[in-house]
Amino acid sequence: MHDLVPILVCGFLFIGLPWVILHYVTQWKKNGGLSIEDENLLDDLHDLARRLDERMNTIERIVAADDPTFKRPETERLRDEREDDHVFDQIAERRRERRR
Amino acid sequence: MAPRRTHFYLDKSNGKFLGVCAGIADYTGIDVLLVRVGFVLLNFATGFFGGMGIVAYFVTAWLADEKPREFDYADREDKKFWQKVRARPGHSVRDVRARFRDIDRRLADVETHVTSQNSRLAHEIEALR
Repeated sequence: MHDLVPILVCGFLFIGLPWVILHYVTQWKKNGGLSIEDENLLDDLHDLARRLDERMNTIERIVAADDPTFKRPETERLRDEREDDHVFDQIAERRRERRR
Repeated sequence: MAPRRTHFYLDKSNGKFLGVCAGIADYTGIDVLLVRVGFVLLNFATGFFGGMGIVAYFVTAWLADEKPREFDYADREDKKFWQKVRARPGHSVRDVRARFRDIDRRLADVETHVTSQNSRLAHEIEALR
């Protein structure tokens, strides 16, 4: 029995441990990594989403300036309050005052 | 090898010495001060192996490349996005999809508004006749 212990320990250290580590490394690579094509695609889509978001924001501002009854999304209005220098908002404000 | 957003790079422009700690901070999104303090504390705490941390620092600085200029972030939001991609790519893909859905919904709102407004206008013209 006592002779077996060093063999078991060596077996675990040199075969079992690397096996476990390599197993998890391959698992991690399979699940976690993006291929280079996916990464470029994600870069493009992220960029596109940003630009569309900005454009959408402009269109909502134009429509809101045209017709004060149009409700813009809450998040966008909050964002505008931080940078309150937009020309369309000023137009909308003037129109609202004229109607009163 | 082609430069990639998900690779580790040195960040010499924000670095104190060779930019390794700043690179780690940029890669993970952890505050750069925290990374530096952690690095120094780890070097003291490991005692005899403390020298290994400094060796690892120089080996990293020697092996890793400087960050390419085209990967400079446009703003904070861009930086956060790529740090998230490195940590959990699946989540960031879902985030981008959610943004597109949001844009789609807002566009539908504007479309509904514009078309209903026009039909009201047509109705009033009809009433004038």
